[in-house]
Amino acid sequence: MTHAAQETFGEETVREAAEIIARYPQSRSALLPMLHLVQSVQGFVSPEGMRFCAEQLELSEAEVAAVATFYTMYKRSPCGQHLVSVCTNTLCAAMGGDAIYAKLREKLGLGERLEGNEETAGEPGEPGSLTLEHAECLAACDLAPVLQVDYEYFDKQTPESAAELVDRLRAGEAPAPSRGPGLRGFRSAERQLAGFFDGEAALESVVDGSSQAVETLRGAQIAAEHGWVAPEAEDVPIPEVEEGAK
Amino acid sequence: MTTVEETTQTPVPEGHVRLTIDGREVIAPKGELIIRTAEREGIEIPRFCDHPLLDPAAACRQCLVEVEMNGRAMPKPQPACAITISDGMVVHTQHGSEVARKAQEGVMELLLINHPLDCPICDKGGECPLQNQALRHGRAESRFRDQKRTFTKPIEVSKQVLLDRERCVLCQRCTRFSAEIAGDPFIELLERGAHQQIGTAKTADAEGWGAVTPQGQPYQSYFSGNAIQICPVGALTSAAYRFRSRPFDLVSAPSVCEHCSSGCAERTDFRRGKVMRKLAGEDPEVNEEWICDKGRFAFRYVTADDRITRPLVRENGKLREASWTEALRIAADRLAEARDNGGVGVLPGGRLTVEDAYAYAKFARISLHTNDIDFRARPHSAEELDFLTTNVLGTTPEDGVTFTGLERANTVLCVALEPEEEAPAVFLRLRKAARKAGTKVVHIGQFSTPAVDKTFGTLLACIPGEETNAVLGLREHAADVYAQLGEGGVILLGERAAEVPGLLSTVAGLARETGAQLAWIPRRAGERGALEAGALPTLLPGGRRVDDTEARAEVAAAWGLEALPELAGKDASAILTAAANGKLHGLVLGGVDPDDLPNPELAREALARAEFVVSLELRRTAVTEYADVVLPVAAAVEKSGTYLNWEGRPRPFDIAIENTGILSDCRVLDTLAVEMDTDLFTQTPQAALADLDRLGTVEPPVAQPGWTIEFEGEGPPKSPLRHGKARLATWHRLLDNGSLQDNEPHLAQTARETVVKLSTATAQGIGVGAGDPVVVSTHQGRIELPAEIADLPDGVVWLPANSGPSTVRASLGVGHGDLVDVRAGGGE
Repeated sequence: MTHAAQETFGEETVREAAEIIARYPQSRSALLPMLHLVQSVQGFVSPEGMRFCAEQLELSEAEVAAVATFYTMYKRSPCGQHLVSVCTNTLCAAMGGDAIYAKLREKLGLGERLEGNEETAGEPGEPGSLTLEHAECLAACDLAPVLQVDYEYFDKQTPESAAELVDRLRAGEAPAPSRGPGLRGFRSAERQLAGFFDGEAALESVVDGSSQAVETLRGAQIAAEHGWVAPEAEDVPIPEVEEGAK
Repeated sequence: MTTVEETTQTPVPEGHVRLTIDGREVIAPKGELIIRTAEREGIEIPRFCDHPLLDPAAACRQCLVEVEMNGRAMPKPQPACAITISDGMVVHTQHGSEVARKAQEGVMELLLINHPLDCPICDKGGECPLQNQALRHGRAESRFRDQKRTFTKPIEVSKQVLLDRERCVLCQRCTRFSAEIAGDPFIELLERGAHQQIGTAKTADAEGWGAVTPQGQPYQSYFSGNAIQICPVGALTSAAYRFRSRPFDLVSAPSVCEHCSSGCAERTDFRRGKVMRKLAGEDPEVNEEWICDKGRFAFRYVTADDRITRPLVRENGKLREASWTEALRIAADRLAEARDNGGVGVLPGGRLTVEDAYAYAKFARISLHTNDIDFRARPHSAEELDFLTTNVLGTTPEDGVTFTGLERANTVLCVALEPEEEAPAVFLRLRKAARKAGTKVVHIGQFSTPAVDKTFGTLLACIPGEETNAVLGLREHAADVYAQLGEGGVILLGERAAEVPGLLSTVAGLARETGAQLAWIPRRAGERGALEAGALPTLLPGGRRVDDTEARAEVAAAWGLEALPELAGKDASAILTAAANGKLHGLVLGGVDPDDLPNPELAREALARAEFVVSLELRRTAVTEYADVVLPVAAAVEKSGTYLNWEGRPRPFDIAIENTGILSDCRVLDTLAVEMDTDLFTQTPQAALADLDRLGTVEPPVAQPGWTIEFEGEGPPKSPLRHGKARLATWHRLLDNGSLQDNEPHLAQTARETVVKLSTATAQGIGVGAGDPVVVSTHQGRIELPAEIADLPDGVVWLPANSGPSTVRASLGVGHGDLVDVRAGGGE
């Protein structure tokens, strides 16, 4: 086995990879966080990154590629300092998501037609560089239209507010999200997704941050006030599964 | 009413369930998939992804049926290929259910949306499940009006396997075959949604990471052709067959693979006297539905330019074409002369059918009055001859180890055998046994080969040449393996066991002591048959010993002779030594390459010195240069015959390509014998086999009980050394320089990389790292190859026996377990 990939990533990353693998009964389960770890180092999943995962997990590179190419959260070209995800799913789109996305493309000087899933403005990794993607549902329809920066929410946006947000990001500022902890850049967010919270305090600030919105809980509140409950599930038989089937 | 009904119903046997399919009551084994039960009942359900030997995937959705359980219909149509049957289940297929029919039509319409419908230019057209089922179950006209998705076509999955992605229906048969059956998960489903496609790490690079230099693991597998064969559409094609032919232009003949001792069933498709392709045949007892890439693609040697089609005779030092009459007369006269002046040795080679081997055995005894015959064109020993006589001769699938028996074994110990390289069908069974039945596979070898990993195996690494000690040490150092061998264990031995003194006797002893079953798996297709046919110096046909007076008399009587030669013959090495010394005056050779023999230099000397050399050959070879008469013989596809596979199972096959005018060895020898005033009665393979059958077999000699280790000479070699010396491990790879793989460039490009393997410590000892050139040398020559670090014992280097520049016997004059010099290469 070649260890070229390990050289790219260094001993610290190898150690962290081992830590991730140790979290699971089967090493293969560690692939998703491993790919995030690779992104936190390189800012994207490079072929070396795939080889690194394959070597650490004793998988073939094709098996890693299958997973890495399936999920849009794994980026195939180097990303900017921040990742801006604009929801363009039905509700957000209707509420202005498409307009926000168009505005940001224009503002970032990206062409009319999107090539691939995301595009980067500025020199990847440099301060103020931004990767813009259009995202599928971000699970905040009640706050539509939303966008995320490094996976943190900015609720009820308008093309103007989004443009201003982007200006501030490019200027090197870190505007506070609508909820949740503050922005720390794409690679730091990837590190957290890999399961590494550098320091106890940081972990608490992430977990304890206010991530709920009033709008999100409104339905549950009304249901509680009226005593509404979901109907019992019908007892639908489930087909037998063969013993020991893999 | 109820009671009457109950009494008239057939009782459901243990482990079975009763269900209804299309109104028909069926009793079937519990746990079976709906699609299998329906199939057995003759109810056809269309499918693409389903394959009986692969795990269910329910990927293509073409087999949707309506299912009722406990009197209630499941809310949606269900995939018949992934739902197991249960008691009281009611299934409605498309034959009776409008819901199922509509669902299937819908799936077909969706599958065809992006399919190019390019059947007229597609290789699969005419034998395509998608084409057939679209015509049967699909719409006549597509309702899709938009532009179809297109891809660059084709992409190279490997040098042999090409992929036209727009034809793919994403059934994942290829990926599942590679991951499950072959254990080579280098091909995968990439991307998502409308972009979903099959590819490798290499194609993923090229497609998604456009800015990055393409790299990544290619699809390297010895079994890649099976993925092509089971592709239910025209997405996967082989570089060898693409655009070459149409299925309806081909004539198909069932055949048996000539490449290794497994005897896999094949189908040979030919057109106008030329083989166009080979496909895996179906034989659950032997190869199931799989063959290796060598068996599938290596057949163009038959049509090589250097094929000999007319007899050649040497005149004034040069070979010229001659008539059969002239060539046979010269051969007969000169052989008789050589026989009477000093004797003639016969080396038939290891690739013959039983019939042809029998003809050589009979020719040696009757026409040449000698027992100097040995089919072993490879390193061999007297110990091996004893071992074959007492442990292998006469075993059959009824009383010996079989392919299916491997699946029932709790432990299989491979000794000096690299199953994936030497007998791929055995490797596939071992992997299946380990995967499905939990069989423990233990390999006594030198490093963790891919086969060790893919059989979930354990490696007991030893110094090459010290396998005997490793086996002797099992009881003490691997007590668990030793104990398991006694509880339904199997031991498999490879051809290089003959190179290790004492190994065969020791393993035979181990088998007797533990009660484990024992099988010998030679590399070549004809060796097992030649053993039974008596192409050996100490054995007559049917397992009769030359030193047994009664047996000799019996054979003599059957052959209409007064007596047979009494003296035990010389083995191959002794024959060559005698010829080189001028003691033997003539040699008759079948398909033998001097460089395969234990001492190629000696072999060439023998050929040069012998007064008269007759070569029965397909093509011009190294032997041709020395031959006085060359008689052309038929290749496997041009003749009928029987291979005896390693199980001792007869694998008869009929002639595929007729009227070539080329004769099989047994016919040529029969005619030559007639010229020498002797009769072999082997005019045709049928006649030869009938003659052999009339002779019958005798009970094989009973092996002496007890734990005997009989090796002569110096005893096991000393441990590895310093001062630039190392012990050599070497064996043949499946795809290498073998002459039966000639003319097949795409296949050759899928061979494994030619490297020298050594441990980290050994590499450091000579100051090299991975990829650096290393020189392995002896007094005779040198081989320089890039280093690959592997888990070999220190002081050991491994070279492929006959791959690229690594021609171990020819260049170095040594073999497995011998000493070689090792140093850093380059810079000279």
